[in-house]
Amino acid sequence: MSSGGPVRALLKWILGPLAVAFVFCGLGQGLAVRRDQVYAATARLPPAERAGLESAPALAVANATWAFGSVDAVKKMARIELDRLPESEGPRRARVYLRFGIVDTNPDGQAALFGQAWAADPKMGNQGLKDAAVREVHARFVAPGNVLPLFFLGGHPPISGPAAGPGPR
Amino acid sequence: MTRRDTDAGSGPGSSRAALVATYVVAAIAGCVLGLRGLAPPFLRARESSTPLARVGFALRQQEIPEATASDWGDLARDVERVRSTWDPRDRDVFDLVVAVRGLATGGVADWSRAEQLCRDLKWPRCDQPALAALRRSSRP
Repeated sequence: MSSGGPVRALLKWILGPLAVAFVFCGLGQGLAVRRDQVYAATARLPPAERAGLESAPALAVANATWAFGSVDAVKKMARIELDRLPESEGPRRARVYLRFGIVDTNPDGQAALFGQAWAADPKMGNQGLKDAAVREVHARFVAPGNVLPLFFLGGHPPISGPAAGPGPR
Repeated sequence: MTRRDTDAGSGPGSSRAALVATYVVAAIAGCVLGLRGLAPPFLRARESSTPLARVGFALRQQEIPEATASDWGDLARDVERVRSTWDPRDRDVFDLVVAVRGLATGGVADWSRAEQLCRDLKWPRCDQPALAALRRSSRP
């Protein structure tokens, strides 16, 4: 037997089949990507778009809870969302505080939560906060939380924010 | 020792057949792994699709009209993978969203399961119109 025997056998019986397996694995994967609509739509996305899609399930769960959930469910969802969302996601955190505030029955607690919403997304401004609250109230189908809080209708003393927090208009 | 001696008892023909069979099995195994999305990472380097992204994509769509039964089967497996990593505190609501959107049932809402999940959650409204509205409003 020549010294090249084991090497040749290794190539022929191990590395050759492995190479064939990898080539067909790549072909199979390409075929799977093309034939699967959902897979094809999500393959080769830039990181930002993929991150957007990956946050969609959590957003769907939060929206469902807000639409029909009990107060306890909304508060639980708010805590989970605040744990999940980084500080950099200001507008999303603001929305969570806003929802939490809308279902809060304590006027002072409500004002504090709206203040936190405003702090999380200062670009929103007073009118932006009220507009967002109107949108949220319309998206909720059960009480409490499906009517605009008195806070936004006037009569509540101004609350302090980072500079000049939101207050009734 | 000659090659003929090595193959004594089986013959060169059967050795060649065994080699061909090995390659065929390798090709089939590779193809099946690729089709099932189980390719090794270096072959998937350019793919950004993840189960979470695919479930997110499906949730964003009003419907996926051209999806085949195989697509729905893959999506159901993705839903299961996502569910297993989901925050346990919120898993029941995730199940409810999956049921009303029909993500694990071929795109057809599973109303009876959705109603049961909703009642288990003790939400204020679990009637059919409420669940239908939930189906619409759960689109992120």
